[in-house]
Amino acid sequence: MASLGKPPAAGSWRAGVFLDTLAFELSTGTGMRILLIEDDTEASAYMAKGLREAGHTVDVADDGTDGQFLALTERYDVLVIDRMLPGVDGLSIITRLRAEGHATPVLILSALGKVDDRVRGLKAGGDDYLVKPYAFAELQARIEALGRRVASNQPETRFKVEDLEMDLLARTVTRAGKTIDLQPREFRLLDYLMRHAGQVVTRTMLLENVWEYHFDPQTNLIDVHISRLRQKIDRDFDPPLIQTVRGAGYSLRAHR
Amino acid sequence: MRTADLFHATTFRLALGYLGIFMVSAVALLGLVSWTTSVFIDWQVQETVEAEAGGLSELYSEGGLVKLAGRVAERARDEPERRTVYLLQDAKGRALAGNLYGWPDAAPDAEGWVRFPIGQGGDLTVAAEVLGHAYDLPDGARLLVGHSLFDAKRVKMAINHALVWGLALTTLLGVIGGYIASHHLVARVEAMSRTARTILEGDMTSRMGLTGAHDEFDQLARSFNEMMDEIERLVEGIRTVTDNIAHDLRTPLNRLRSRIDVALLGESDPASLRAVLERTLAEADSLLVTFNALLTISQTEQGSRLHRFEPVDPARLILDVAELYEPLAEEKGVRLEARTEPGLIIAADRHLLFQALANLVDNAVKYSPGGGHVTVSAGITPDGVALTVADTGPGIPEEDRERVLDRFVRLDRQRSTPGNGLGLSLVRAVARLHRATLTLADNRPGLAVRLVFTRADEEGAPRRP
Repeated sequence: MASLGKPPAAGSWRAGVFLDTLAFELSTGTGMRILLIEDDTEASAYMAKGLREAGHTVDVADDGTDGQFLALTERYDVLVIDRMLPGVDGLSIITRLRAEGHATPVLILSALGKVDDRVRGLKAGGDDYLVKPYAFAELQARIEALGRRVASNQPETRFKVEDLEMDLLARTVTRAGKTIDLQPREFRLLDYLMRHAGQVVTRTMLLENVWEYHFDPQTNLIDVHISRLRQKIDRDFDPPLIQTVRGAGYSLRAHR
Repeated sequence: MRTADLFHATTFRLALGYLGIFMVSAVALLGLVSWTTSVFIDWQVQETVEAEAGGLSELYSEGGLVKLAGRVAERARDEPERRTVYLLQDAKGRALAGNLYGWPDAAPDAEGWVRFPIGQGGDLTVAAEVLGHAYDLPDGARLLVGHSLFDAKRVKMAINHALVWGLALTTLLGVIGGYIASHHLVARVEAMSRTARTILEGDMTSRMGLTGAHDEFDQLARSFNEMMDEIERLVEGIRTVTDNIAHDLRTPLNRLRSRIDVALLGESDPASLRAVLERTLAEADSLLVTFNALLTISQTEQGSRLHRFEPVDPARLILDVAELYEPLAEEKGVRLEARTEPGLIIAADRHLLFQALANLVDNAVKYSPGGGHVTVSAGITPDGVALTVADTGPGIPEEDRERVLDRFVRLDRQRSTPGNGLGLSLVRAVARLHRATLTLADNRPGLAVRLVFTRADEEGAPRRP
């Protein structure tokens, strides 16, 4: 991470590239290096500000040509790429990256929200797809989920958060040594939460990954499912592990 | 329509073209008939002459020149009008018998046939032509037998007359028929063109008239009218939506605006400002939800057969949607039950269809009273695969069942429950995209919404009214 603090040599980037690297090493160790390729500079300024406040290092490129250059030459943990860009368009950048063997996770931002568009984006090599307009919390949660995914690339069969344990092979869940009986969907829900333990997962992420449907529920369905799960894993135990993150979603961690 | 226009009309030019071709073939046919008749008549005259000459020749071989002369004289007497002519000359060129005054000057052709003019009739004043044949007898005498072509000529002329008049009449009828036909067709095309212009000028309700003849024009007019109905429906939809968006989004936008306005006016502490911001964000989010729903509906409505469909097991969707809503139903004290059949398969966009089912189940649970019962089911019916969401809630009065499918329509008693009036509009859009029939029925009590996916093999079958 030491190289992160090094400011770029003057003139080493082409005009139009707005580079901003944190001049200090992040103390938390959770910070990621993120490249944001987005031509709406106002939106990208907000995003960069929010992500930096969350402890990440953010580079911003406002057109496809510069973005592609940065993505190919620098190392990032996550790339956030707008689909429609001046210069080189977003999907072409992703195709090029994948063709050159870069496996960096990519979150596609797009105003095109049809299932077809999403499928095309993911086919081009995108790892996640976020339709505009989105909540910042949604963007942050997805970026962090993507960054984490690479960190734990090999398949895990056991998860442990505090005294809550899950065995994927035996399909058992125990808390403080006591077996907890879960319905299949509750098991998948907890599985997802445990894989992203410590991170924020949004309701949309849960719908997409646990139920595998892209749709807008008119009611807070997920909350009801979470509260059922809480009944089983948190009610009779301490500390509570499923936390509600206001304005964002949920997070599985011991309350601090 | 002016005559000048009529002559420019495609149909009239077509009619003229056909008439031209018809006339050329008629003239060719008539020429052939005329020529054939002429050849036939000549042949008949020659036959007559040869038969006569044959008889006379027999007589000559039996009784010699004297007997022949007697018979020729006798025949000549029988023919005062000279329809058949005879002349017998001896070797010295003296006339022995016959009704001709002299041997004709005209030279005979290779077969001995000769044509020459004579006078005919009772007083021999009618000019006519004779076709005759000269025979040389062994003792140097010569016999000429001929037959008048006068009658044959009259027949020929009569035939030619008939042909010419027939042709003239045909041409006249063709022109008149072409004029009437093209006038009729042009009039109908003109009527259609007039209707189209009226529509272009802004009267979307104008439609083409049907003659009831069930011809191609009626078919065209019917297709056109159906197309206009669809366009009118879409335009009307867009207009209603625009009006509704203006109305339904202005209210929350205004609320949003005044909230910010008021917050800026007072000297508020950071905590209350934060609270205002959070409420504003929640309101903006709910606006976005409405917007997204509108967008999904219009995208779905624009969807065509090009839309990405995949084989979907509707039972899976039914079980998933029931599972998703079951905790919510339980919280409300509503029993949610799923019924499916195995082995069902439909071509669908599973995300959109799931959204539609979710909207229906959401409504069903929302409007069912505690202790109510919601059933979601997938099954096969004679019409195809049916997906049904039925509840025991208050239902929808029959007169409102069509209306509630429109955007932003909320019944008065729904005002107290949250919702944006777009849920059923999306269901209808999804049904249309999948060419599924959507019916809202009385569940006695409650509402039963049914989506029937017609079977693929019936999809291409023409619909007959």
